[in-house]
This record gives sequence, structure tokens and C-alpha cells, in this order.
Amino acid sequence: MSAPGGFVDAGTVGTGKKYTPEVCIIGSGAGGAVSAALLTAAGHDVLVVEEGGHRTRKDFNMREDVAFAQLYQEGATRATKDLGITLLQGRTVGGTTVVNWTTCFRTPDPVLDHWRDRHGVRGLTSADLAPHFAAVEERLSIAEIPLADSNRNNRLLYDGCKALGLEATPTKRNVKQCMKSGYCGMGCPVDAKQSMLITYLPDAVARGATVLYRCRIERLEIEGGRVVRARGQVLGGPSGRTPTGEVVVIEAKRFLVSAGAINSPALLLRSGLGGADTPIGRRTFLHPVVGITGHYKDLVEPYYGAPQSIASHALAHRGADVGLFLEAAPIHPVIASTALPGFGDAHRRGMIELPNTAAHIALAIDGFSPDEPGGTVTLRPSGAALVDYPIPPRIWEAFRFGLRKLAEIDLAAGADVVRTGHDPSIEVRSVADLAKIDAAAYDVGRVSVFSAHQMGGCAMGPDPKTAVVRPEDLRHHSVENLHVVDGSVFPTSLGVNPQESIYGLAHLTATRLHASWGQSG
Amino acid sequence: MRRRGFLRLGLLGGGLLALSSVGLGMWPALLRHAPRRKLELLDEMEFAVLAAVAARVVTQPDADPIELAHRVEEAVRFGAPESQDDFKKLLRLLENGFAGMLLDLRPRPFTRLPPEAQDAALLAFRDSRLALRRSGYHALRRLTAAAYYSNISTWAGLGYPGPPSISVPT
Repeated sequence: MSAPGGFVDAGTVGTGKKYTPEVCIIGSGAGGAVSAALLTAAGHDVLVVEEGGHRTRKDFNMREDVAFAQLYQEGATRATKDLGITLLQGRTVGGTTVVNWTTCFRTPDPVLDHWRDRHGVRGLTSADLAPHFAAVEERLSIAEIPLADSNRNNRLLYDGCKALGLEATPTKRNVKQCMKSGYCGMGCPVDAKQSMLITYLPDAVARGATVLYRCRIERLEIEGGRVVRARGQVLGGPSGRTPTGEVVVIEAKRFLVSAGAINSPALLLRSGLGGADTPIGRRTFLHPVVGITGHYKDLVEPYYGAPQSIASHALAHRGADVGLFLEAAPIHPVIASTALPGFGDAHRRGMIELPNTAAHIALAIDGFSPDEPGGTVTLRPSGAALVDYPIPPRIWEAFRFGLRKLAEIDLAAGADVVRTGHDPSIEVRSVADLAKIDAAAYDVGRVSVFSAHQMGGCAMGPDPKTAVVRPEDLRHHSVENLHVVDGSVFPTSLGVNPQESIYGLAHLTATRLHASWGQSG
Repeated sequence: MRRRGFLRLGLLGGGLLALSSVGLGMWPALLRHAPRRKLELLDEMEFAVLAAVAARVVTQPDADPIELAHRVEEAVRFGAPESQDDFKKLLRLLENGFAGMLLDLRPRPFTRLPPEAQDAALLAFRDSRLALRRSGYHALRRLTAAAYYSNISTWAGLGYPGPPSISVPT
């Protein structure tokens, strides 16, 4: 075993510092952390670079404003170009796994079949992935939560679905000794969540990896079809986001980009790998989300308890129409204040009902129709990523369908009034009111839409015209020592929460890379 | 809305942002809300508009529009430089009597309107045919409301008890 590495603040290493690891991994979230742990365990010398800070349990004080500022991309203000979709994504050591709601699914077989049949992705069957999912599930204590442990917000979703004859089942979660506080989205205050922060990253560090944080890789320098070095900016200031002027240089034998479905394509574009004939930054998928709130006479307390413990895929397959899956969403005061429509006294009336409010969401399963190109990631003049996702009519139709179904579910569960995310809100007090949801306007800024699942943008596939990386080892089609290992390689969305799919794919890919590198030296 | 129509309105919206400062000097803003701290992104006019918006979004007696505006400015600075610039233009567009006259027959700057007319101006953004104005309304509304409800002192009024006490498993 190598000597232990460590978590190193880039602000302490001195400007111009040069690292020469065998493997440089850019991004410490689901893809990067698993890759780092497996590669270090196999004897490789690994440096992980992360632009966010190294926040730990002691920093997680269960306050939304603190968490958004410290742990989220753009302080949780990131949005699509037309501001039509709010984008929630982590930015910290451990990435989004530090702030997600712990819901785990293996990649569904129909999705893998679709990737094989429509996108030419070979060597990625459920049998190929099974041992890797099993290993990840063991390391991260992924297990189904008993129905009896659901909080009321989730239980209402379950009861409403069952009353309507819709499938709904308890989910799996990556937790250990969870106290079910309800604050997963702000970083787990008791280290119950088995995020990358406390699992695969410490595993990698114990075997010699270094995690260099508060360092943003600006570009990869490519010569002769190889990445020769990465140039990073050290970040500092009170927010930890301001370039200090110090630089870090990394000259590695191999580079893995694991910066997520927005920042990975953006880095490749900044590195000069874009252009009209490459698919980098295309086919970005978001599982766009709409939601309802249901008011109940009894307390719901949607801010306490495991945030997500029930999911329904009863509407996932809708023939030619866009499918949906249904889940619950935890709401604390700040999220509630942004999700509830209106302003002034009208907004306040919704806020004071918070303890009696349930929040349920419908996530659109995007990317499975040939006429559905998804969104794009391009570069702003400053070099920052710009996500454009014009919501197509097919998804607006799915939102209309999903909101109606959610309203039916909450009415069946006993809500006395259900409100959609329209502004002004559509109020549904009985089945007779459901037609109001059908008649409502659906357009940017008419109804609230957000995304917590970003996928695609560096798709895998055999054809360089339509894919960025090769499926068998996630290697860039024309840069021989560059791999992309994160959710950006998915050719479509998933129809389930993505974290376990990223873990499993990274586990499989790191295993294959080690075997391949062992042969090539 | 058909895609072509959306694109046309989107382009018009983009042009509006570019014109957000046109004519602002003809009827200056009413700087009722002066900043208490050094501004890092906004100028005093933009800050006054933002604080005026905050006063209408959060009407609770304990709300402090100036403090809310400072907090929103801090939050906006987490975004990309281009997003920060767009936010400044959005505030100028809301204030701009020229644009207000063109779009809503409302020639007075936002900061010079009585409260009820300010609400009407915000609703005109909400109900606009231009996606950019609708999105802008939500950005202003969400940022100011979030700034208010992130304050612990507001939680009791909602019946939200706050985070539980925790014990770290050994």
C-alpha cells in the first residue's frame, strides 16, 4: 500500500506548483471518487482535482442558505439560458453525492437495451454491470428503506398511488445509522449518508491519492492527440469561488474528466475539442421536474424524515409520449419560498401552510424519442458553461399529464386542496377541478420547472460523429489518454435517480482501465 | 406556443435587455432605499429598484428591504459574470419608464410608483407574452423571498421548528 495521501487546499501549495501523477481525475463526485478509489487500490498514483471546498459534517448546520452558498453550483442559482429550468447540482468535495437525497436505483434494463439498440452501446448489459452494482451497494450500504420508516410526505404519495391502483414502492438509500433528520440536501450532519465525501474518497486517500480542492481546471492542453497537461486556477475569497491568481499545473499520463454533465462538456469545449463536427455539449438531458403541493388538515412536516423513500414508475412507459416517474420532495423554508407562486400576501398564505404541506414531483424521462434532441452546453464569453434546454411540446404535454396525475394522487390521499407550480397557481379541490390543469398555460415562466439530474453532453457510442467517448472504456474518440467518467456519458436520461448508475459505470470502467493499462504499461 | 413564435418573442426579449438603460436618465430613479454596505455588483439605482421589489415581494412587518437587497446581491454574485450582468439589466428594464410605456402603458419608473402600481408592474412581468419578462419576474421573486426566509427569525411564524438537535452515532 502506498503512503496515505490527503485532502489538500490548493491555496496552500504555492503558485506554479506542478503535479506529475500517473492519473489526474477532474471532479470528486460519483464518477471521480469511485474511479479514484479503484485505481489507487490497483496501485495507480492518482490526483483528484475539485473546484469546490472541503466541507465536512462539522460544516453542515442544516441551514439552506449556508448549504446553497457552500455546496451548490453557482450558489444554487444556476439555471438554463432562458431561466426556464433551475439546475441544482453540487460543488464540493464529493460533488452532488454530498447534497442529494440518497435515492438509489440500478440502471433499468430497458434503458440499457435502448442504448444498445439505438446508440450502439455494447458491453454494458445488466450482467456486465451487476457485480459492480453489487460492490457499490455493499460499500455504500445501499438498502431498501422499510415502508414504515417513510415520512408522511412520502407515505401520502404511496397511499395516493395505491388508492388509484398505481404502482409505488419503497426506494433504496445509501445511508448507515440514518437519523432521518430530513436535511440530506444540506449535507448530512451525522455522516449517515454514504456520500463520496466519507466513502470512496477517503478510501482513495488512504491508499495514497491526493484530493486537491479549490482548484478549477481551466483547460486541458492537447498535443499530438494526447493531453499533455491541465492548467488549474486556485480559488479563494470568502465564497471560495474567486480566482486568487495562483495556478497549478498537472502533467499526468492519463486524465479522467468527471466534472458532471454540465462542467465536463464545458471543460472539453474550453480545451478546444469542440466544433461543428463533434457532439460535445449536445444531447444534454435533465429529467425536468414539475410539482404540486397538497394541503392536509393534519401535520405533514415535509422538512423532517428521509426526503425520498417512495417512488412510482407507473407512468414511466406511455407509448409514444414522454414518460414520467413520481417522487416526493423535501421542502424547507427557503426552497418552499422559491417553489410557491406569487408574492406579497398571496405568497405568505402559502408559506404559513408549510407544516401541513406535502410536495410531490413528476420527473420527465427525456431523450428516448428520435425527435427529442435535449439541451446543449456551450461556453459563455467568460468560459463558464451555458445550458440551453428549450422544453419541447412533448415534455410540456408530459408536464400537463403529470401534474394532473399528481393532483389525483394527493386528492386520493386526502388533501383538501392541491396547487400546481403555475403562477398564479391552479387550485384543485375535487376531481371536478382537474380540468383546470388541462386548460392551464404551459410555457417558460408559466409553471415552475427544475432539475436535479443532469445527464448527457459527452455521450458514449461507437461513432465519433454522434458520440464523444467509446463505450468500452469511456475514452475520447480522438484523444488517447482522455476519458470521461460521469453522468455526461449517458446517451439519454435514465428514468431513475442517476447516482447509482454513475457509481456502477465508474466501477466497471475503472476495472477495465486498470486491466487495459496493466497491459499497455 | 409554437416554436417559431417563441423564438421571435425570445429575440424581442433579448433586444429589450439591450435597451434596458435607454431613457433611464429622463426620469431618474427614486433612491428611497440606499445601501448600507459597499455594493459589489449593483449601482445605487439598481440597488434601489431591487430593494423596492423586495418590499413588495415580502410584505411582512419585520422585513427589511435594504437588507434583503444586500443578500440578493450576494447571491447573484455566485453566478457567471454574464448572468450577473443580465441581472443588472433586468433591474434596469423593470425601472425603465420607456420600456414600461412601450409594453405596459406604464411610463413612470418602478421606484416612483405607489405600492399598488408596483404590484401591477410585477404582475405585468408575470403575465407578459415575453418569456424573458416572465423569467425575470420569477428570478426577482424567488431571490428576495429566499433571502427573507433564510433568516432564522422568520421560521417561527411559519410553524417551522427548525432543524432537530442531532446526536452523532458512534
